[in-house]
Amino acid sequence: MENLLKKYKQYPNTWDEMFDSKGSIRNVYRDFGSYLKNTDFDSLTQMIDFTSQFFKNQGITFTVYNDNKGVERIFPFDIIPRIIEHKEWRSIERGITQRIKALNLFLKDIYHEQFIIKDDIISGQLIVNNKYFIREMMNLSVPKDIYTHISGVDLVRGKKGEFFVLEDNLRTPSGVSYMLENREITRRLYPNLMPKHKVLPVDNYPQVLYRQLKTLVSKQNPVIVLLTPGLYNSAYYEHATLARLMGVELVEGSDLVLYDHEVFMKTASGLKKIDVIYRRIDDDFLDPLCFNTRSVLGLAGIMESFRQGKVCIVNSPGTGIADDKAIYSYVPKMIKYYLNENPILQNIETYQLGNKDQRKYVQDNIENMVIKKTDGSGGYDMLMGNKASAIEKDKYLKKVKKNPNNYIAQPILNLSTAPCIINGKLAPRCLDLRPFAIYGANKIEVCPGGLTRVAMEEGSLIVNSSQGGGSKDTWIIKK
Amino acid sequence: MLSRVANNLFWMDRYMERSYGLLNLIKTNYNSTLDSGDYSSWNKIMQTYLGIEYEKEFTSHQDSISIILYILFDDSNPNSVHNMIIKARENARSVQEHISRELWLSVNKFYLHLSQDNISVKYKKNDPITIVNELLQFNHIYYSVADITQERGNAYCFMNLGKYLERVVQSVDFLSIRISNLNQNEENLYESYFFKNLLISIGGYQLYLKTFKSIFNIENIIEMIVVNESFPRSIIYSVNKLQVHIKRLNEFNKINNRDLIFTVGKLKNSLKYTTIGSIKSKGIDEFLKEIKIALNQISVNINRTYFYQTY
Repeated sequence: MENLLKKYKQYPNTWDEMFDSKGSIRNVYRDFGSYLKNTDFDSLTQMIDFTSQFFKNQGITFTVYNDNKGVERIFPFDIIPRIIEHKEWRSIERGITQRIKALNLFLKDIYHEQFIIKDDIISGQLIVNNKYFIREMMNLSVPKDIYTHISGVDLVRGKKGEFFVLEDNLRTPSGVSYMLENREITRRLYPNLMPKHKVLPVDNYPQVLYRQLKTLVSKQNPVIVLLTPGLYNSAYYEHATLARLMGVELVEGSDLVLYDHEVFMKTASGLKKIDVIYRRIDDDFLDPLCFNTRSVLGLAGIMESFRQGKVCIVNSPGTGIADDKAIYSYVPKMIKYYLNENPILQNIETYQLGNKDQRKYVQDNIENMVIKKTDGSGGYDMLMGNKASAIEKDKYLKKVKKNPNNYIAQPILNLSTAPCIINGKLAPRCLDLRPFAIYGANKIEVCPGGLTRVAMEEGSLIVNSSQGGGSKDTWIIKK
Repeated sequence: MLSRVANNLFWMDRYMERSYGLLNLIKTNYNSTLDSGDYSSWNKIMQTYLGIEYEKEFTSHQDSISIILYILFDDSNPNSVHNMIIKARENARSVQEHISRELWLSVNKFYLHLSQDNISVKYKKNDPITIVNELLQFNHIYYSVADITQERGNAYCFMNLGKYLERVVQSVDFLSIRISNLNQNEENLYESYFFKNLLISIGGYQLYLKTFKSIFNIENIIEMIVVNESFPRSIIYSVNKLQVHIKRLNEFNKINNRDLIFTVGKLKNSLKYTTIGSIKSKGIDEFLKEIKIALNQISVNINRTYFYQTY
């Protein structure tokens, strides 16, 4: 393998997780590096075959839309772990906790007194015009004042090695089951390395989640369920896995029934009352009486039960306003406003295209900008200024002009890279990190590590699984 | 347990059992065509499993291997083995947190095996018996994995309801299609291979030889399939099992299922006092009709009691 390591060619101007700018192995990867040197390539190939067979047999797949044949796909997995030192992780952890706390206070505020608008920190227009601002949530008190029970904050590393927040996912962030499965398989791949490194465990995530959901209601043994849109949803595998590992029922909308504003599920031994619903369907589909009238995925009348406090919905409806890309740039101000602290994790500079001066700046520097829709996700419908042709740019800017408030721009970052095995060679690929945080009645817990997503195409910055991205296991090591 | 989950568990096992029955039939029928050279025997299998509407399409197939591949893989046919396993797997996938991990893996492996890209091309060159044996092995693994890994709770009972209901339906169909219509003047009736293949297809050849030695007659076969309590594919065996699991479910769930207990108990007891003599005096067709009506009632009651909850 020594040869392969030598042939490794870093991207210019980019932070590499394993190698420093001079090409020597960073301290945190030292043991792993010597393991690679002493392993022949054939056994690595065997490990790769083993992993793809493993994922396939276990049915660890996600479903791709607009694809007639082979609807289920394996999530590409790279066997070389992404390693982060515990000291660095501690600051990430504190940063995420701080951020989630502030975002949660923000949600409580804008759905009640709206001090942040009155104090002129954020313009009211930006809030009330946003389609994720849900009027049904106004003056509705949620259990224990928690809105964002489960969140996944996407982080990227800039060229100096500093972490930035790319976005906050506060609605129904997915990927946690891949984090668990990645660890499951990595344990099999590196039986000697893992214990030696004292990698912090992630396996207890389902138990932590269950324990924290339990704190939301005062009952001794509340009935908790996971609500899925069903078998054909792209993240169904994840829903089933979480339900299985938490030991709760996986329900669909059609399993639920409402009686006297209490929510019941239909079981073989009659109806059973439900106390907490961890829902994995979007707000819009939750209740046809309040939101999308054509939805059959949720349950008619469930919002009224929620309002009356008869059932607890996790995450609360209406959290979308806080992870919107237009609101994102205000998060540092929120942290200052609500907590009187300085943000630990930095934002990426963001330009509002609704602002004339900023729009002009973006247009002048479009080569270095990425323009996104504020309500977009999954890597769809965005413009990468360095890749797009002149015609594409023109077309996109015309679209922007029609509704500039719906767009933001950010400078294109050189995402950090880590070595991956691509076609028998060791090559750098860009990656991000999505740690998962759980907010219960007593505290916020961040699962050590998270899902490292990898852009499998050479030079690509897009890590979304719907766009062919893959993943790696993430090791937080205590040495 | 959710009603939907119970229903899916029930159907998961029904499809597995159905595919098992069909695979066994394919194997023995192929064997018997080797003896008799009579391709029309495939028609009976089509009638039982695929429905009349597929018969026409099927006559275009001339040799056994293409008929077998048609039954195994034709995706336009909802009852091809491939489609049955897809359905069994869909059901398994939707109840993953209620079945053991190992059981899910075994269904998924079966599915992946049948869904390989060029499997029918590969199979074209193979010996049909080897092919079917390879597939049967997946069924055997499924049953044994279920036996040693599945907890004996609600899920296990619903799976067994599906399994034994499907099996008893198959045994009844076997009698009504293959035995009661038997043309007594048919020539090959007197060939020993005829009975041998008939018995092998329902898995009862060895037991028959032990019980009745090598004297083949139709009455003995009927007796074995209806009332032999130690024959795992007999009607009485399956009905006994149905009763066991319905009683267990009753203990677990404490709900009113008097109608269900009553209908299954009634059928069990009437079979207990059935002899080949009483079947003959009633007429096999009339007897089978009564059993079909009773099975229908049981199935309606299972549905009503467990799968459709209202308040």
